[in-house]
Amino acid sequence: MHTLPQQLANGLLLGSMYGLIAIGYTMVYGIVQLINFAHGEIFMTGAFGALTVYVYILPDGTSMWAAVPLMLIGGGIVSVLVAVGAERFAYRPLRQAPRLAPLITAIGLSLTLQELVRNFYPGADKSRAFPSLDATHSIGSVDITDADIFLVCAAIVCMSSLAWFVRKSRTGRAMQATAQDPDTAQLMGIDTNRIIVVAFAIGGFFAAVAALSYGLKYGNIDYRMGFLMGLKAFTAAVMGGIGNIYGAMLGGVVLGIAETLASAYISNIPGMQQLGGQSWANVWAFVLLILVLLFRPQGLLGERVADRA
Amino acid sequence: MTETKSPATPPADATPTTATRGLIGLPLPAARALLLLGGIATAASAFLAWTWTSDFPGDLTVYGYPGGLQWLTFVAGVLTALFALASYGVRGLRWLLPARNNAPLVLTALGGFGVTWFTAIEIAAKLGGLANWEPGTYIAVVASLIPVIGAFALPQEAGESTKETLKAYIAKPEAIPAPQPIAPWIQRLIITIVAALGLGVFAYGIDTQYGEIFIGFLIVLVFAVWALHTAGLLDRFSAMVADNRSFTLAMGFLAAIAFPLTQTDDHYANIGVNILIFGTVALGLNIVVGLAGLLDLGYVAFLGVGAYTAALVSGSEFSRFSGVQFPFWAAALAGAAASLIFGVLIGAPTLRLRGDYLAIVTLGFGEIFRLAVNNMDGVSGPDITNGPNGIPSIPDLKLFGFNFGEAHDLGGFTIGRFANYYLLMVLVMALVVTVYRRAADSRIGRSWIAIREDETAATAMGINGFRVKLIAFALGASLAGLAGTVSAHVTYNVVPNPYQFAGAAPPNSAFLLAAVVLGGMGTVSGPILGAALLYLLPEKLVFLQDKSLLAFGIALILLMRFRPEGIIANRRRQLEFHETGQLDVPETTTLSDEPAVTKAGA
Repeated sequence: MHTLPQQLANGLLLGSMYGLIAIGYTMVYGIVQLINFAHGEIFMTGAFGALTVYVYILPDGTSMWAAVPLMLIGGGIVSVLVAVGAERFAYRPLRQAPRLAPLITAIGLSLTLQELVRNFYPGADKSRAFPSLDATHSIGSVDITDADIFLVCAAIVCMSSLAWFVRKSRTGRAMQATAQDPDTAQLMGIDTNRIIVVAFAIGGFFAAVAALSYGLKYGNIDYRMGFLMGLKAFTAAVMGGIGNIYGAMLGGVVLGIAETLASAYISNIPGMQQLGGQSWANVWAFVLLILVLLFRPQGLLGERVADRA
Repeated sequence: MTETKSPATPPADATPTTATRGLIGLPLPAARALLLLGGIATAASAFLAWTWTSDFPGDLTVYGYPGGLQWLTFVAGVLTALFALASYGVRGLRWLLPARNNAPLVLTALGGFGVTWFTAIEIAAKLGGLANWEPGTYIAVVASLIPVIGAFALPQEAGESTKETLKAYIAKPEAIPAPQPIAPWIQRLIITIVAALGLGVFAYGIDTQYGEIFIGFLIVLVFAVWALHTAGLLDRFSAMVADNRSFTLAMGFLAAIAFPLTQTDDHYANIGVNILIFGTVALGLNIVVGLAGLLDLGYVAFLGVGAYTAALVSGSEFSRFSGVQFPFWAAALAGAAASLIFGVLIGAPTLRLRGDYLAIVTLGFGEIFRLAVNNMDGVSGPDITNGPNGIPSIPDLKLFGFNFGEAHDLGGFTIGRFANYYLLMVLVMALVVTVYRRAADSRIGRSWIAIREDETAATAMGINGFRVKLIAFALGASLAGLAGTVSAHVTYNVVPNPYQFAGAAPPNSAFLLAAVVLGGMGTVSGPILGAALLYLLPEKLVFLQDKSLLAFGIALILLMRFRPEGIIANRRRQLEFHETGQLDVPETTTLSDEPAVTKAGA
């Protein structure tokens, strides 16, 4: 369980989840230069959307083969609706306002979403059980579960289709244009409002994918799960170079691996015996962020303005 | 920066086409008479019994003696009547309505209506049905409606739609006629009276014993202050304050000191001291956010650093260094210094970057602090902070032989434990206000504002952006640390839990930020007012407990949407948020000729 390949695999899996969420931050930031702090909560609502489908809509004993895609659809619908609604009703009226205003709105939105779920979703004030896929397979010395396989496949499919979408599709190129210069893009006939909505929607859907994998992997969800995951995902986006979608994925993976290795091995370093373990993992993640910002403030891949989307 | 928006067109291009008549078709004398008589009737109805049982809090059952919420109805009725008299032009009351506009009448009438109907509905809801209304309640309900009818019968230029007309009813006139010159001693007298009045209102608000009366208090207060604002009296008062700045500060300070003397119960002094701690930290955050424009989302961690430092050197037997006991001045300095060091450590790498990174790094730091403190219990980390149990039994402060833990007698008043700390916090607050004001007026303060407005331009003008931002960040951090040292002693113990990003009760980073934003960024009184409100709301509205954070989140969104400059607006910021497109408007419009909105006059 504690061999290096196993730790690397764990880090990679955790990192893919961060990366999926980070896409939402980085796309929105790339286009409207807004840190959508509520994105972690969009992730959380996605998890609850998926749970709703499983618990309240599907009949008992549905095979997971049928349930997982339906849960993905349910979670995706909830997340996308929340993300697009946030854009439409909270952020759009503030687009010309000074930067602080939308940021504070985002904090308010984040609290509101958390509290809505806590107050009105049955049983959400404690953690709720989520159907987990924990059948384990061994590949060499590495153990992975079905949930991990789902996560890896989903991350690969999502990322490659996003890369194709941004580069090849008409909307994707319009997105790049908007990211470069919204005013000129508008003059060229691009409906920038629509592009922004699309960016929020894609971010929301990716967050729902991550949320579903989170639930399947850990087996329970609660209303606070979005805060820390969102924070880490944003860290990943900054580390990779904010505005850069490949950077978000890379940053996620680097952060995930670094965090896993730190909690596994730091306690072996003489003099730091007590600073290892899971309880310090978050601390090391933020220390890493500060180090990256200190030495490479533009992020690992850089904020590639031309490729922003 | 992109400049896509055309300058906003000036509102209401004065189209004198439509006749100026009220929404409700009544002649002007009738409308005024309704306002005056209705106001008097509302005030009088407070002397009737409103319900038959004393189950409803405040005992509203007695004829001839108002209780609880009835007092608020009484005050609102009297205010309405006073404004109505002023609109008649009664000698001696004309100063109430310098611009002769209708908005204050409308607003006070609405305030009386709001508080009376709120009470009546609460009675019906709480005791179960209209059967619990006494005849007095019916009279009050009708009486409070009369001024509202009168108010909306006042002549008002019709806007494009009903919504616009309604807006025009409560709009502040563009120009308030310049006041008569007032002798300096009268100005000071007025400031003294206002300070005493403010103390009274504040003490009343803190002493409210149940949620209903606090809501009623807020209704009356909001409408009354709004009415005074639209009447232009607040502007006049701030002009007066500007002429007597140090006198006002001294009076405010005196009023703050006098607060514990008005209290019989140390519990309320406890609320007072917590508000002061919260307000002091909010003021420190205001330097960072309001002046320098840096978004700090983990500010409460600096409060925590100060509190933990003070706890560690307090001589508490649970402290890691239980043998060490610093005198308070040394502990306070140590707490401020520790926060300063952390501030520089966090600020130095991130302040060179764009502002958004600072937000995320401070948020991260806030979490690191809480997690680290939580882990350092000797099991999952080094043994420093005693983990989730925190450091309990922090001894009371002793300063020059004065024990803060004991009650003292002071000229017939008993000053309890919390009142002692309250007075200490008033001193700390005075120090922080001084630092804030001196810093804001200094060369560095002007650099902060320049950086906030436009960093590129400021740097081009020769301001070392990184340096002044680091100073702002470090100064804000050390002020929070200083407040933290006192708070550790007030609460007897320090635990990691309160120092989180968002929680149900202040202080936490989200509440602190909200206090600054709600009150008004870049002002002195704004964050203190915001802190008082945000502390009292969860404290008083216990029935909201579960939903208080929800309400808080929604309030933040709505606030940013509709009044992003906060309750007390910094003038420069207000212009910035509302994009009037020009910054060089004169400070006060002293128009001696025909003011714009006096068409209502007969």
